[in-house]
Amino acid sequence: MLLTARNNSSLVIDSLCDQAGKGDITVACLYYDFLAHQEQTTANMIGAILRQLVSRSGIPDDLRKAFQDGKRAVGGRRPLRADLMRMLKTAIASLPQVFICIDAVDECLSKNIPELLELLRDIVRESPTTRIFLTARPHVNDDIRRYFPKVVVIPISPNMDDIRNYLEMRLDRDTEPEAMSNDLRAGIIRIMLEKMSDMYV
Amino acid sequence: MAQTTYPQSIELRNSNINSGNINSGNVFVSYNETVYKSDEDAQIMRWLSILEPEGRHHGVRTDRFDGVGGWLLDTREFRDWRGGEGGTDTAVLFCSGNPGVGKTYLRHVAGFFERSECY
Repeated sequence: MLLTARNNSSLVIDSLCDQAGKGDITVACLYYDFLAHQEQTTANMIGAILRQLVSRSGIPDDLRKAFQDGKRAVGGRRPLRADLMRMLKTAIASLPQVFICIDAVDECLSKNIPELLELLRDIVRESPTTRIFLTARPHVNDDIRRYFPKVVVIPISPNMDDIRNYLEMRLDRDTEPEAMSNDLRAGIIRIMLEKMSDMYV
Repeated sequence: MAQTTYPQSIELRNSNINSGNINSGNVFVSYNETVYKSDEDAQIMRWLSILEPEGRHHGVRTDRFDGVGGWLLDTREFRDWRGGEGGTDTAVLFCSGNPGVGKTYLRHVAGFFERSECY
């Protein structure tokens, strides 16, 4: 988990939120998960993005009206997907700049991926300042490229600097520091890095 | 009406900044921690989605440790994307990787420490 794309997406979200605290950007995040297909419907996912966007700027009139209409329907009604898509686009257009970070797109039900990407494409067309950060296993690349031909891809692979940092951190937390010497420490790091590069390069 | 603001939620954010918490931002102000102006506002927020990715992000962030993955933020690709000058063409940044690789990798590293701590 720690060295994966998910770690990077969490890092990107934090980095953006530092900025959000200072200025005019709004950040929304979304995590797909194989184990939660039932709840992760397109409607729930869009609703979750919309909630993050309006939690700071206030509930827009169209959303309030959709809620009241839904409440009046017999037995109450969940938000409709088409309404959510429309309200999301409106909310994004009303904000200076929105960052949407979606983690593990490949864990979305494959039949829902085109719909998700199409929505993102529409959003970017209508609000070109919007930035979208996606993480996924490499095989989703083709899907993404179909909707965003000029997508910038950064391959994530085990990074030796990351491993070194992790080793340093674990050695710093050693419960018996008196048993450690500089030579031993350097030796552990050297051997671990050698073994790791043999394994993956 | 569309411009209504919620003093409580803004205050929460500011107090985080003042206390030096660099991870503050509206993502972390969970909708159910925020005191809304009316019951209806809170109901609307719940009605929108049963998912709470805001809380999920907290979990991932806690598992993470500093210094790992930082190289990504230094890449030209990330900066260009973040800067947003490119318009629609550069709107999407895609980090492509196999989570299994990372996890397997870490298991070896973590395994080493677990063994050594048994001495």
